[in-house]
Amino acid sequence: MKRWRYDSARDLDQAPIDRLRQFPREPDMLVYGLRSLCALIIRGLLRVYNRFEIIGNENLRTNRSLVIVANHCSHLDTLCLLAALPLRKLHRAFPVAASDYFFQRVPRLWAAAVLVNAMPFGRHSRTRRSLTICSELLANPGTILIIFPEGTRSTTGKINEFKSGIGALVAGRDIPVVPCFIDGSFRAWPKGRRIPWPAKVRLIAGAPRNYRLRGADKIDICRIAAELRDAVNELGARNGRN
Amino acid sequence: MSPQIALYDPVFRAYFIIVLVSLTMGGAVLGFLRFVLNKETASMFKTYWSWIFMAGIGLLVVFLGRIPTIVGITLLAIFAFKEFARASGLYRDWWMTGAVYAGIVTVGVASLISHPRGEEPGTGWYGFFVAVPVFAIALILLIPILRNRARGELQRMSLAIVGFIYMGWMFGHLGFMANARNAYGFLCFIIFATGLCDVAAFTFGKIFGRHPLRSEISPNKTWEGALGAFVVAMILPWVLRFSFPFFGTRELILTGLIVGIGGQLGDLSISVIKRDIGTKDMAATIPGHGGILDRIDSLIYAAPLFMHMAGYYFPLK
Repeated sequence: MKRWRYDSARDLDQAPIDRLRQFPREPDMLVYGLRSLCALIIRGLLRVYNRFEIIGNENLRTNRSLVIVANHCSHLDTLCLLAALPLRKLHRAFPVAASDYFFQRVPRLWAAAVLVNAMPFGRHSRTRRSLTICSELLANPGTILIIFPEGTRSTTGKINEFKSGIGALVAGRDIPVVPCFIDGSFRAWPKGRRIPWPAKVRLIAGAPRNYRLRGADKIDICRIAAELRDAVNELGARNGRN
Repeated sequence: MSPQIALYDPVFRAYFIIVLVSLTMGGAVLGFLRFVLNKETASMFKTYWSWIFMAGIGLLVVFLGRIPTIVGITLLAIFAFKEFARASGLYRDWWMTGAVYAGIVTVGVASLISHPRGEEPGTGWYGFFVAVPVFAIALILLIPILRNRARGELQRMSLAIVGFIYMGWMFGHLGFMANARNAYGFLCFIIFATGLCDVAAFTFGKIFGRHPLRSEISPNKTWEGALGAFVVAMILPWVLRFSFPFFGTRELILTGLIVGIGGQLGDLSISVIKRDIGTKDMAATIPGHGGILDRIDSLIYAAPLFMHMAGYYFPLK
């Protein structure tokens, strides 16, 4: 008789907490179930508590890989963008999160890895490596990357400069980039406040853009980042940001 | 079982003190080794801290009553199976894993509810509990048919059935014992005795170990350790006789055999699985112990044997 081949998980020797830190994570039925359940609850709460509303939903409906780019002033932003996706795509949607902020202390690490399925991104070091992982993820059709190119939450509600990394990721690749504007999250849950307020939050998804014909040199990359920022800004202006 | 009863139950109170005293003595021995004999004990201390943590949780859950005990055992079974599934690669097949999870939950439910027509005394539906494997295996065999697949399915079905029967149903007996009239005595004894025997096997093996017990399965286990644990297991039922005052000599000897031999067979049977898969520990969940499955392995084997032995001579409920 021939031996069976066992296809063990790669992270058998790691403690459960350390398993959450690594990326990509092994699929886990219980985690997926918990995540879906929490997503349903969060969706319900957003609709009721923040009167959450989505405009331009059709721009997010595609089976291809997708990069979603949005302004960032609150933790609600990630939850809103996830709430705009179909539930079955939840486990293939990776909000790109700062590894120095989300992947250190346990409660935050658990929320980031289990609840929102975040991808750890090195803001200060190993940035290039993180970008490579992003790029490899996008090679799988059906992957959704949620990126806040400002790199941190805005403390004024205004949109800061976009980092050029977003340009490097999408330049020269046939991947739709959807600019989104999130309106009201700054009032609902700004940086530093403990609990969200019941302010109205809207998500406006713009038309997908494509940068496959653009070069990947430094100037082009920065220009793409600036164009995306303008696109997000314009979405806000056009839809009566208040 | 309930907090009010546990508070005044002499057996539970006795075990509370016994566990406290054993942990203190263990700590004293480790401290002696570390500070007087200057031995390297860092890994043993890690194991020891985990023991304190587990003893605390275990005592608390049993104290809280029947429902927390059964729910806790069911959760433990789910996570033990999850470790097995991750190690054997079965976790990639969500249908099979899901079927086994459903089976384990059913075992828990059968332990929780009473017979629907009241034909059995007390809580826990024994007839259904014993029959759950039939339904679980039927469900597992159904899955490849529903999915119209054959390639590699025998391996998946086999792994799922082993996982369910061993980590779900056999371990689930521990939860069903919470329905017994003598729940505190049975639960506390079997958990304490298997735990103590594991420590005894380790200690005797460390001190006297020369001859490998099963060299192809687990190179660190020795005949000396196994014999030491066996002797401890044979004495223990007499020392802790107050846990089951109605047991005669025959039952006490059987209890000793089940704990002394069964417990170590459980340990070895998990080692066989690990050895074939090619991993040292099932997971790294408990510092100093390995996975949940590495910790409860002897209990999985001994608990159902003990329950059916006791149930054969005396009505369980």
